[in-house]
Amino acid sequence: MSAPFDIAIVGGGIMGCATALRLADGGMTAVILDQGDLGQGASGVNAGTLSLQIKRVALMPYALRGHREWQAMGDAVGFHRTGGYTLAFTADEAALLQERQALKAAAGAPISFVSPNELFTHEPHLARKVAAASFCAEDGYANASLTGAYYRARLSAAGVPYRERQEVRDISRTQGTYDLVTPGGTIRARRILLAAGAWLRPLASHLGVDLPVRARVNTVSVTERQPPLLGSVIGHATGLLTMKQKPNGTLLIGGGWQGAGQPQDGRGQVRMDTLRPNLALAQHVVPALAKARILRSWTGFEANVPDFYPLAGSLPGLEDAFVLGCVRGGYTIGPYIGKLMGDLILGRELELPLFDPGRDFERTDP
Amino acid sequence: MTGDLDTDVAVLGAGPAGGNAALGAARAGLRVALVDEQQDAGGQVWRAKGKAIRAAPETPESRAGSQLRALIAASAVDHLADTRLWQIERHGPAWRLGLLQGGEPVQLTARALVVASGAREFVQPVPGWTTPGVLGLAGATALLKRDMVVPGAATIVAGTGPLVFFTAAEIRRLGGHVQAIVTPNTRADWMRALPAMLVRPDLLARGARWMADLALSGVPIHWGHALSRVIGEDRVVGAEVHPLDSDWRPAGPVREIAADSLCLGNGLVPSIEAAQLAGCPIRHDPALGGWVPDADDEGKTPVDGLFVCGDGAGIRGAAAAAYQGSLAGQGVARFLGAQVPGIGPRHLRRYRRAAAFGRAMTALSAPRPGLSSLIDDATVLCRCEGVTSGALRQAIAAGATSANATKSGLRCGMGPCGGAYCQTAVTRQIAVSTGRSEGEVPPPTARPPLRPVPLGGLAGDIAYEDLPIPKPAPL
Amino acid sequence: MIRLIPDQSRRIRRTAEVTFWFDDAQIPAHEGEPVATALLRAGQLRLRDAPTVAEGASAARGLFCCMGACQECAVEVDGAVVEACRLEAVEGLRVRSLGRGA
Repeated sequence: MSAPFDIAIVGGGIMGCATALRLADGGMTAVILDQGDLGQGASGVNAGTLSLQIKRVALMPYALRGHREWQAMGDAVGFHRTGGYTLAFTADEAALLQERQALKAAAGAPISFVSPNELFTHEPHLARKVAAASFCAEDGYANASLTGAYYRARLSAAGVPYRERQEVRDISRTQGTYDLVTPGGTIRARRILLAAGAWLRPLASHLGVDLPVRARVNTVSVTERQPPLLGSVIGHATGLLTMKQKPNGTLLIGGGWQGAGQPQDGRGQVRMDTLRPNLALAQHVVPALAKARILRSWTGFEANVPDFYPLAGSLPGLEDAFVLGCVRGGYTIGPYIGKLMGDLILGRELELPLFDPGRDFERTDP
Repeated sequence: MTGDLDTDVAVLGAGPAGGNAALGAARAGLRVALVDEQQDAGGQVWRAKGKAIRAAPETPESRAGSQLRALIAASAVDHLADTRLWQIERHGPAWRLGLLQGGEPVQLTARALVVASGAREFVQPVPGWTTPGVLGLAGATALLKRDMVVPGAATIVAGTGPLVFFTAAEIRRLGGHVQAIVTPNTRADWMRALPAMLVRPDLLARGARWMADLALSGVPIHWGHALSRVIGEDRVVGAEVHPLDSDWRPAGPVREIAADSLCLGNGLVPSIEAAQLAGCPIRHDPALGGWVPDADDEGKTPVDGLFVCGDGAGIRGAAAAAYQGSLAGQGVARFLGAQVPGIGPRHLRRYRRAAAFGRAMTALSAPRPGLSSLIDDATVLCRCEGVTSGALRQAIAAGATSANATKSGLRCGMGPCGGAYCQTAVTRQIAVSTGRSEGEVPPPTARPPLRPVPLGGLAGDIAYEDLPIPKPAPL
Repeated sequence: MIRLIPDQSRRIRRTAEVTFWFDDAQIPAHEGEPVATALLRAGQLRLRDAPTVAEGASAARGLFCCMGACQECAVEVDGAVVEACRLEAVEGLRVRSLGRGA
């Protein structure tokens, strides 16, 4: 029997891959297993927004470092730092925006408020109904579709093997080694990291751990190529809209409107009763979109736990077993928190603390 | 919501299969809505003449179509013509369909669903196949039947199976000039199909007449040849044709034929996206044209209340589609506790006989592996996004080994056609490059909308104040 | 020459002629005829230019599937993208090509 890997990572999304790269850098042998293709879960189907304006206050230090990671990944992931505006259309929304952006600015995000004049000078296609707008020059986006191709190349260059379409059907531990049963055979490893996003709960149950992971079913849509309509990332005070125009002219419309379905049943489904208001909101913000054709709408499963803070650390009650997932704003923060996770496993000092998966999830602080 | 409709049975597609399924379910006393994007029922094969044609001679196809249209008009079926289906959802036991009628959103709720979405064409990509003047072979038949217009002044008709000869005959009937027929099939291929064709002496006789006419008129037929390159920059000026070996790999000297138009097609592929959106599992069956919804002869699928029939359930031809439509009508009626009078074992026998003929034609039309070698690195596979075979080869070599992965990494299949015209060639190339069978490389996940639709048409007229905005995310 | 398939083109009766605009060209059509078909008859095969093409390849695109699926014949009417093969010609209709000279 061949020697066990130092670590098996289950889940080939951003967090699993970023951790693997850090571990390989630290001299560990890692293998990644994914039930589908690399980067085809939430990492590959989200709207790609990199916005400090929609990050949680307590996660701002991680998000700021996440932005630097994306900037370094650059063209290979379709990174664009465009700046972003968050819009309020009513007095209530404006008050909400003022209150929230002040706290986020205090946490380190360079957010300021801009006049309607300034807003419409930069974004002339926005509806002239805006009551208030905040701006953050750090905001932008990357192309989530490229996640898989990016990490395949990085992992190959780093000599980290990955196995796609290899669902982990069982995990057991004998004599200090984890055995992971996959269709292609049993993989043995001294350590294990679960980084399977919305699929964490059934995965952890193989190890007798119950993680209170639930999934949101976020909807994203894309239009046909359009003439220039937006130069920056646009958000809404409630967080229910993200919008950006890619260099190829297509517009990506998200905002976390909920589709249907469960991760264990495969891909989620778009629902008309949430897609339609999502698109109506986009049209309210950019009226010219009314005639743009929608080419595709889809959903992605975003995992979370009851306190909406990450799971990042040792699995409670087990040795050499770790979990990473449920990061609110996980696309932005993923490449950075993956590095932290790698440092934890390598026994290095951490730049920022991680989030104990054994905590009491009913409390509001991590 | 602008309009909400409610029915017992929703039938998607008003061709021979969907039309007959709808008629059957209506005869069982059920309320039936027949949804179709064309103005008139008939589908592609029994297509109606367009609005610009006031009178024209009939053909067997136009007569069959007229009969179906008359039956639908005289029935209780609610025919939602010129209506685009963009979404299929399950809500408890009910189906909810997203439709677009005259630019306005309509939701249709149904207790059971019959998907009769028909087929699309597989056009073998060859260098230059995006040049204006190149029509799909099935596309050309639409032009000939609906508009009664020929593709050009001198047309090369190229491809597999019976459709090349039908198209050539129709071009001649409408006064056009067929420059040449180019078909990978050989006379021997046709001789081998002959026993299966004997069940349809009418079609056999018609085919014989086409062949005799072509011979008398001196139209060259290049048996065992493929159209291997389109010549022309901004419009077709001709084509190169190659002789093929038995695997349909080019072998032997190339020749050039001048033409101002080309019709090109290599068999049909079931349109399965609607069935996929409805949650139907799919399986790969090369004898039925590739990926098909999992269903029995009567169109019953593993999904409760979902039936599929016609070419969308597997390519068996229009005659079989009509019978299978009746069977699916019976199936859906039974599912809802009703009964269609007069549908019995006789129908099943007729269906099987017609299907045997259709499958023989599918076998003749299916491209053999060597035909893919007509593609060179510069050949465009994804017409919408301009993705070449060479780019796909590199992406596969870099580890993108599924249709979803090449779609994400390369954008092939992300354009307006939704992958309809590249998917077969793309998954074939992935399979060949990774040493797997085509059945091991499924198509990408189906996504709504099933056709591009204007955002305003989906959003409708929801006022900002009425947007259902939930409480903000945690700070 | 002996024909077993008779030429029936003279027995087809069509609707009255109308004229529509394709960019700056006036195109004759039978009323209700698909715009793409009328353009084909007028010898106007290049309906649009593709947004992305491989190096050295022509961007010219025209009618292909004739049934509203492939989107190759997409044109613009009143700022909206529509399939020319499903768009009926009416007198004075203004149709613009996509991706050409834009």
